[in-house]
Amino acid sequence: MTALTSHLKLLEAESIHIFREAAAQFRSPVLLYSIGKDSTVLLHLARKAFWPAKPPFPLLHVDTTWKFHDMIAFRDRTAKELGLDLIVHTNHDGLARGINPFDHPPSVYTDIMKTQALRQALDAGGFDAAFGGARRDEEASRAKERVFSFRAAGHTWDPRLQRPEMWQLLNGRLGRGETVRAFPMSNWTEADVWRYIMLEKLEVVPLYFAAERPVVERDGQIILVDDERMRLLPGEVAQTRKVRFRTLGCYPLTAAIESDATDLEAVVQETLSARVSERSGRLIDHDQAGAMEMKKREGYF
Amino acid sequence: MTLAALDEPIAAGTTFLAPDQKSEAMLKLLTCGSVDDGKSTLIGRLLWDAAGVTEDQRAAIMHASHARAVNGERIDFSLLLDGLVAEREQGITIDIAWRYFETERRRFVIIDSPGHEQYTRNMATGASHADIAILLVDARHGVKRQTRRHAAICNLVGIKKVIVAVNKMDQIDWSEERYRAIEADFRALAGNFSFAEITAIPVAALTGANVVARSAEMGWYTGPTLLEYLERVDPKVEPEDAPFRMPVQLVLRASGDFRGYAGTVTSGTIKVGDRVVDPRSGLGATLRRIATMSGDQASAHKGDAVTLVLDTDLDISRGAVLSEVKRRPVNADVIEARLVWLSEKSFDPEAGYLLRTATDLTPVTSMSVSALVDFETLDSTPAHECSANDIADCRILLGRATALDLFGDLPLTGNFVLVNAVDGTTVAGGVITWVQTGAAAVGDNVLVLDRARLAGLCSDLGDSPADRAEFERRAQEVAILLRSAGVPVLIETDQ
Repeated sequence: MTALTSHLKLLEAESIHIFREAAAQFRSPVLLYSIGKDSTVLLHLARKAFWPAKPPFPLLHVDTTWKFHDMIAFRDRTAKELGLDLIVHTNHDGLARGINPFDHPPSVYTDIMKTQALRQALDAGGFDAAFGGARRDEEASRAKERVFSFRAAGHTWDPRLQRPEMWQLLNGRLGRGETVRAFPMSNWTEADVWRYIMLEKLEVVPLYFAAERPVVERDGQIILVDDERMRLLPGEVAQTRKVRFRTLGCYPLTAAIESDATDLEAVVQETLSARVSERSGRLIDHDQAGAMEMKKREGYF
Repeated sequence: MTLAALDEPIAAGTTFLAPDQKSEAMLKLLTCGSVDDGKSTLIGRLLWDAAGVTEDQRAAIMHASHARAVNGERIDFSLLLDGLVAEREQGITIDIAWRYFETERRRFVIIDSPGHEQYTRNMATGASHADIAILLVDARHGVKRQTRRHAAICNLVGIKKVIVAVNKMDQIDWSEERYRAIEADFRALAGNFSFAEITAIPVAALTGANVVARSAEMGWYTGPTLLEYLERVDPKVEPEDAPFRMPVQLVLRASGDFRGYAGTVTSGTIKVGDRVVDPRSGLGATLRRIATMSGDQASAHKGDAVTLVLDTDLDISRGAVLSEVKRRPVNADVIEARLVWLSEKSFDPEAGYLLRTATDLTPVTSMSVSALVDFETLDSTPAHECSANDIADCRILLGRATALDLFGDLPLTGNFVLVNAVDGTTVAGGVITWVQTGAAAVGDNVLVLDRARLAGLCSDLGDSPADRAEFERRAQEVAILLRSAGVPVLIETDQ
């Protein structure tokens, strides 16, 4: 038995309820697995919702080819150990056109390698619902989103036309061409996620813990030199610093923080006393005002 | 001073937790009021002063406030909540925002809801998730039509404790007389509702008076500040010893002969060895296991998401409500309900609707509106139509019976949303006020859809639970088509 607090137990039960409603109401769901701490909790909750049966849907990872190497290793090991179907999708058209995070602005890169790639994968799989680990505490437009977030044909989101969602009742009846993004962890906070990982003894990607890593500093942001594709500026040399990550994405676009937190307890402590928000390390979110909302309208999670 | 006067400053019956007891449960707090009453500003102020804002967010808000300069030198706190581009451009709240923060005493989620009448559907969504509501009233204007509508919706969705925050006290020279008049107005109108506790607090969100810090200008006010009240109020108003209910979401099967009913307990408690019953068939069984991935449990309580394994197979599926034997739900096919209409499309007696209750989806055979709430007087007035943002009383005949409770007794098995069968949208949210069994008498002009009548369409279906569910699905789709052509239909599934 675990020793979850009553607060985490309630959150867990609410998430399980959402997973079960979606599984009962949608024909062909998929779980968007992005390997980070939220996905780790999301997957754990999915397993709990259907235990002793396996979750009745595959995992989908949209791979830009620029994810941290530690993430890919962790992804493959997790799917294998749990015996779950894993679909990995890359936008090969974008790859062929040479789209990358150095030559293209974050908005262009994200649209092609993440948003368009996700839409391709969902269409190819014929999925009518996709689970995501997004939380309302992450960002201002996410704070506005429903648990069942309806997308029109083409996966577009219109925040002015969200369905009412009253009490515990989730209405998943689809109109023509509609699909749903389902967010079982809507009401979790970053601190809840870490407390849960600690109490449930879940394994996470080692990048969340501080270690000596080769980095460069640009515009005040610390970027990891994860492989030889990292383009150094003239005269720039990678230095070794003790860093960790609060969120994980594409390595050239995800800033590290200097930290001495080498285990879960220290990470939780650091998170609870953090003075800046989690997504401040996501360079793609700051590209333009309302950046996240724009991405969501176009079909991003 | 009389005894009654002692009760006056803080609402009678306020329950406070012991000072050193940090509540584990999150307080879900709705904020609502008319446009320009300053809701977003009040919540922004609460977050700002109670340390719910991170440094990068503070910097971004300072920057944006400077650019907009709507409050002169002051920080525009509403930018903390209005997250959509359209909201920022228009300076209004369109949809609810969820904001999470913790103080040393308690966790909170603030559900900030829009004031415009056209976004009432979003306000109702927010209210249905809240334990407690802050109704904002502009001290210059007093209680308005929209205040009454919001109070009526809060009451409808089951909120029992409300705070009347009389805002912009700085604009009326901190007048106690004016404040007392508004408070009295509200207490008078609340006589129409079943709130258990009403607390009025005079505040000024822009200056922060009585939000977190006590106001120096209103020495006459001796009650709690807003944060003091929120940290201490006990949100629970549940009766002890409520009857057990668990609506079945899924039947889980796994290797071996595992067969369990997955769902969330919506009320009461169940222990291994207890008898449970399926109210639809009347069949009972004994609870053998409460299975979860973290280990079996000896008992399950309200809010637990569990899987129940019974000693005999009740042959039930999603939509059934497992219940204790003595106090069961009614297997009802006629209901009366009060609902808030959420769709831009008005109620249409000819349209095909579905009733989504806890886990069941039941076709509506016919529906009629009997009354509307008048938002000036809060009286019910006879009516036969209803449209967006109305609160209506109605009567609904269901295509087949389903297990239901009265909302006043058990909210989570007594609420529903009404769904447009064609486009899937949620058109209304409602609470059941009266139920009846077996009254949907089959008349000469009602077409009964049963296995015999749909034999051709369902010739591929056998008698397994999955096939029966598929029969019901097909029958519902046929019923929708027939009803849209004006043919009254009943579905008969018990073959």
